[in-house]
Amino acid sequence: MKWFGFGFNGFGQIFPRVKSENSGDSSKVLSPAAVLSLCSCGEKTSFSPKTKKTEPEDQNIRITAAWSRKAAIHIHGGKHVCVSGLRGDSEQQDEEFRGLVVESEGCEDALITERYLILRFADRVECWSQLTPAGKALAWSRVWDSPDNTGDTVTLPLVPGGYIESKPPFFRPLSTELCAVSLALGTEHAVLLTTSGTVYTWGSGSHGQLGQGSVVSEDEPRAVEALWGVPMNHVSAGGWHSACISAGGDLYIWGWNESGQIGLPSKGLNDESQKGQSTGKDKQTMNKGEDDIFISIQAFPALVDVPEMCEIRQVSCGSRHTAATTSTGNLYTWGWGHYGQLGHGSKCSSDQPKAVEYFSKNGMFVEDVVCGLWNTFVSAVPKEHRFS
Amino acid sequence: MAHIWKDVKAVLPATKPEFPLQFSDVVDPSVLVLLGLSREQLYSSSDPPACVENAQIIMDYSWEKLNTGTWRDVDKEWRRVYSHGCLFKAVGMCHGEPSQAQVQEAIKTCDMGLLMGAAILDNVLQRLVGVLKKKLKMQLSSREEEDSDRPCLKKLKKDGTPEPRIDAAVSVPRVKCPALETFRSEYLEPQKPVILEGIISHWPAFTEHPWSIDYMRAVAGCRTVPVELGSRYTDEEWSQKLLTVNEFIDRYIINTGEGGMGYLAQHQLFDQVPELKEDIRIPDYCCLGEGDEDDITINAWFGPGGTVSPLHQDPQQNFLAQVVGRKYIRLYNLEQTENLYPHPSELLHNTSQVDVENPDLEQFPDFVKASYQECVLQPGEVLFIPKQHWHYVRSLELSFSVSFWWS
Repeated sequence: MKWFGFGFNGFGQIFPRVKSENSGDSSKVLSPAAVLSLCSCGEKTSFSPKTKKTEPEDQNIRITAAWSRKAAIHIHGGKHVCVSGLRGDSEQQDEEFRGLVVESEGCEDALITERYLILRFADRVECWSQLTPAGKALAWSRVWDSPDNTGDTVTLPLVPGGYIESKPPFFRPLSTELCAVSLALGTEHAVLLTTSGTVYTWGSGSHGQLGQGSVVSEDEPRAVEALWGVPMNHVSAGGWHSACISAGGDLYIWGWNESGQIGLPSKGLNDESQKGQSTGKDKQTMNKGEDDIFISIQAFPALVDVPEMCEIRQVSCGSRHTAATTSTGNLYTWGWGHYGQLGHGSKCSSDQPKAVEYFSKNGMFVEDVVCGLWNTFVSAVPKEHRFS
Repeated sequence: MAHIWKDVKAVLPATKPEFPLQFSDVVDPSVLVLLGLSREQLYSSSDPPACVENAQIIMDYSWEKLNTGTWRDVDKEWRRVYSHGCLFKAVGMCHGEPSQAQVQEAIKTCDMGLLMGAAILDNVLQRLVGVLKKKLKMQLSSREEEDSDRPCLKKLKKDGTPEPRIDAAVSVPRVKCPALETFRSEYLEPQKPVILEGIISHWPAFTEHPWSIDYMRAVAGCRTVPVELGSRYTDEEWSQKLLTVNEFIDRYIINTGEGGMGYLAQHQLFDQVPELKEDIRIPDYCCLGEGDEDDITINAWFGPGGTVSPLHQDPQQNFLAQVVGRKYIRLYNLEQTENLYPHPSELLHNTSQVDVENPDLEQFPDFVKASYQECVLQPGEVLFIPKQHWHYVRSLELSFSVSFWWS
């Protein structure tokens, strides 16, 4: 298995930026590229461009990404986290940073945000604010009275008794009656999945991201009634949108469709493409399609299809884009594409799910997808490995 | 456009150390890195174009912050970051020999900062637009002769919006240049609407620079403004869009009807385009209010015939000055509120659900009980709309009005 990345690379979080006169737009990676800065710990990392040798050992790694950096979490053997992207101190400002976070050794799970690295250990959770040796600081921590021996039952941001937000006071309690199995935090909203497959949302509803049929905010978790009776097994939250997958492999999305991230016709995108086509003199074309129906805010969950008869396995929401994997091993992306985060080899946005051809062309089966705010990380295996 | 760079550079502080980048810790360290890098590139000899890419990243990231939480609550620091992004991008685009389209794009970028950002570096974005506009104008005037197919105002056909018949018994009274004290005791204190005649005829908008479509193109054609699309803001399909004044005129004033209704409404155009502010004057009567002159909100209302502002109320006193065209206006005082069926939702509670000129009396039976006043406001007239008075406004032809909200 190997990790690939595409989209925003402004801080070298996908691969180190080349500093040369004619390097062009190295802050944008338009097609899937092997993640070179995955790790610096020397523990069986990925891919050497010189020898063209692929080390098939990435499967012990998970990725979590914020806007300016990402973290590779080593989940087996010597558990630890390696961070790449912007360094935390302000001294040498434009230097990219890659390194093992010593404090992470032995951690079970990790989550990175723009300002904090959140580490979960068997008996405690810690939020670190500076990640360089010079200015590392423990911003907050919490120890449980009885060590959690349940292993991998809940993942961050869930912790026993509640969840961790990336700003003080960090810990927010959650009722145990909710029986939460996973939680996705958007910019200002939360999407929670329970053991019974019910979806709860709360936080800001300004762009329909709660799926409650309104643009009203909710202080407390509230079940998404439109999904009643359809058990879900996966949830994700983006900047202003949300997604979930049913046990049957159907994909539901709701929230802001500003860049087509819902996968429904977007007015903004339509205007953008018309602007690109018309030369300015051709005013007639500007009014074409005025009668088309566009969705700006989708306040109820909408069933979104990919152009292939298959089940959806996973979905991940970026700030304004969405990525989903299928049971056939394909990756589909849609929404905002200006930084290459759709992986279609262009900076175009799309309001329709489109397959990322790189993987099918190279005979690869996509196993996992994790969106950063403006980028996408994907793990894939050669198809013969998977089916042999 | 060979010499543009020198003039553009002149709006910036002379050296890098004189260019401050001070932000509170609300702003993420990663963004501070990009701001520092952009400034570095701007002042280096070879890198200004590279600054455009970083500036776009700064704009995109702070744009997301501007769209997080309610507009009022967005931290001003993020507005400042956004303005810096716009400045770096606009300046970076002017390096070398920018094409006319690039200069236009740079002006648009400055306008985005002026519309959504906060004032920075002694209003540098406004000053930069001033420089860029001059450059654009020089190019345009040398091409003017080829441009003879532009339709002029005279060719515009009259559109068929129905002429209202004013009932003399309920028409708003008119008074010519009343003394301040007279206005105070007879209209302001009893909160009675009145049309003031002859108080704006001295405006340059009527004399030195008579406002017209061509004048708007000349003064503000390249400027980006928010335009309301759809015939009224209560409609389901209503939306807002950013267009240049030229685009707005081409699509919604010259070619009315084809692309639906467009209205440059409730926009503080006079802060954005200082030349236009020179053409108007704040009415003397505003001094009767308690507020400072700086607290007076001046909005532009520019659109074709047929634009409608649904029946609504505003929280301040209003002078609505008519400069171009006529408008039909219906007024209901505060006591009539219960007959006007305000929208139940919090967002629209100051707007009536009734379509004033075509009321659904089955749904809103008490509307017929509401007493009102009405008028057709002519160019050169100013309507005093007392605070919280309900008003409905429909333009009868191409119209430009200026409203002054004061307290």
